Amino acid sequence: MLAAIWQGPFIRLVPAGMVLLALQRSLFVEFTVAGVIVQVVLALAAAAGAAAGSERGAIAGFTLGVMYDMLEGLPIGSTAVAMTLAGAVAGLLAVIVADPQWWLAMLFTTLGAAVGEVMLPVVRLFTGVPDPFEPRLTIVVPVVAIAAGLLSPVFVPLARWCLRIKRVDWVAPPREPAL
Amino acid sequence: MAIYTVGRRRVIFGLLLTCALLLTLDLRGNPVLDRARDGFSRVMSPVESATDVIATPLGRAWNGITEYDDLERKNQALQDQVDRLIGTQATARLSVEEYQELLALLSLDSLAGIPTEVAKVVGASSNNLDQIIEINKGRSSGFKVGMPVVNQAGLIGKITSVTDNTAKVLLITDARYVVPVRVLGAPEADSTPTNTNPSGQTNEELEDLVATTVGPSTTLVTDVLNTGTTLPQNDVDPVIFADVGPLVTDPGAPGGESFEPVVGEASAGLDDPVDLVAAATTTTTTVLTLAAKEFGALEGRGRGLIPQIRFLQDNPSIAVLQEGDLVVTAGGFDSLAPPDIPVGVVINRADRSGPGGPLLDVLPYADVTKLNFIRVVKYTPLSEVEQ
Repeated sequence: MLAAIWQGPFIRLVPAGMVLLALQRSLFVEFTVAGVIVQVVLALAAAAGAAAGSERGAIAGFTLGVMYDMLEGLPIGSTAVAMTLAGAVAGLLAVIVADPQWWLAMLFTTLGAAVGEVMLPVVRLFTGVPDPFEPRLTIVVPVVAIAAGLLSPVFVPLARWCLRIKRVDWVAPPREPAL
Repeated sequence: MAIYTVGRRRVIFGLLLTCALLLTLDLRGNPVLDRARDGFSRVMSPVESATDVIATPLGRAWNGITEYDDLERKNQALQDQVDRLIGTQATARLSVEEYQELLALLSLDSLAGIPTEVAKVVGASSNNLDQIIEINKGRSSGFKVGMPVVNQAGLIGKITSVTDNTAKVLLITDARYVVPVRVLGAPEADSTPTNTNPSGQTNEELEDLVATTVGPSTTLVTDVLNTGTTLPQNDVDPVIFADVGPLVTDPGAPGGESFEPVVGEASAGLDDPVDLVAAATTTTTTVLTLAAKEFGALEGRGRGLIPQIRFLQDNPSIAVLQEGDLVVTAGGFDSLAPPDIPVGVVINRADRSGPGGPLLDVLPYADVTKLNFIRVVKYTPLSEVEQ
C-alpha cells in the first residue's frame, strides 16, 4: 500500500498544490487583472485534466479543491466540486486527440477553468448563499479562464510531472522483412 | 492516454458525490472535518511563511509600479486630513470620555466594558466570490465565532471560523453577511453656533490664521476602545469648526444634545497654531438632531457592491428615510453585534412597489478593501450566553 501511495499522484500533487495554494493566497491576491484574482489552483486542476484525461483530472481537481476549501475555511467540497468538474471537462481533450498540441491543451484548459469558475456560484447557490451570481461574473469568468489558458504551457507539464504522465513516444512500426 | 469510458465517468460521478457528502457533513458541523481543517492550516503555515518571503517583495514591487501615482495622491489627501484633525483630536477624545461618564451614570449600554483585541490581517480571500480576510489571532486569544470586528472607521464584519492561531472574518460586503441595524437621521444643526473669543479676535481674523477650519469628525473607534470608553455614536460627518471648538453629539438622546468640552485642558501643551487658536475659543452651542428612524437588516452583496438595508417600513408621518442618514448596529437579543457601532451612511434610496419597503444603499465607513489592523470586540450576544 505504501508503495502505491509513493508511486501514486498524491505524493507530488499535494506538495505542488500546497505551494500553489500559498502563492495563490499571497502573490496572486496582489496581481489582479481588471480587479479579478487569477485562480492558479483552478488552472492546475484544469491543466491536469488536459494532460491526463478526465478521470485523473477529476481526481487532481478533487484533491486540490479539498485542500483549497480546508485552507480558505470554506465548506469542504464547495470548491472541490468546481475543480473536479474543471479537471473532468478539460480532460475531454483526450477524446479528441491522444497526444494534443500545446494550443489544444491551452484551449481545453481554458474551457475547464471557465466551467470550474462558473460552478463556484452554482455550488454556493445550493449551500444557501443568496444571489451568488454577481454581475461581475461576466468579467471574472473570462479573465480566470484566459489566465488559466495562458498558464497552461507551464501548468500542463507540471501536471504531467505531478501525475507521473509520460508523453507518448510515437515510433514507426518495424519494417517487415522483405521476402 | 486516457480514453473516455463509462467506467471513468463513474469515477467522476463518485468524486462529485463525495464532494456532496463532505459538503453536507461540513455544513451540518463535523468535528472530524474541523480538526482536519485545523491540521491542514498548521501544515500550511510554514509553507505560507516561506512563500511570503518571495511574494512580499514581488507584490510590493508590483504595487509600487502600478499604484505609485494613486498612492502619492492619497498621501497628499491624507496629509491634509491629518493637518485638520490634529487640532481637534484631543478635545474630541475628552468629549467622548465625558459622554461615556454620562452613559455610565444613566446605566445605558455601551461598549466600554467589552474587552477588545487588536489583530493583524494576514490574508484575504483568494477567490473572486468571498469577502473574507484572515487575521493572525484565533482561539488562543479568546476569539469565538460570531464576534464582531471593527477598525478605526467602524464595523467591518464578524468572525466566522477560528483555529488556534488564526481566524476568518466575513466582511460586511459579503453576500452572506447580515446584521440588524438602526437608521438614524443625519445631523442637522437646529441653531446657529455661537462663539465667544476671549482673545477678542473675530472669526474672520481667526480664519486668516487657520486656513483649514472644517473637517470630519476626529474620533476613531480604536481610540475610544483604547480609552475604555464607548464607540463614537453616529460619527459620520459632524462639522467641526476649529475656530469655535469641537462639538460632541449625543445621538442616543432624542433631539440631540451637546456637551461643552473643556477646551483649555484638552489643548494644554499643544504648540501648533491651530491648537492655540482652538484653545483660545471656549464656547460652542450647536444642537444636533439625530433621531432613530427605522430598524432594518443590513446585507452584503458581494465584491465591488455596497451593502443594502432591507426590511424597512417607510412611514413618512414619522420619518423619511433618505440619503445622508446614518447607520449603526441595532444590537438586541439575536444580534451578534452590540448596539451603536457605526456602520456607514445611506447614499441612495430605491423605492420598491408593494409591501417590500424601500432599499437603502449604505456606504460603509470602513474601507474593507484596504485593511491592515483590526480590532475584535469580544462580545458574546445574550442569545449565546450559557445559562
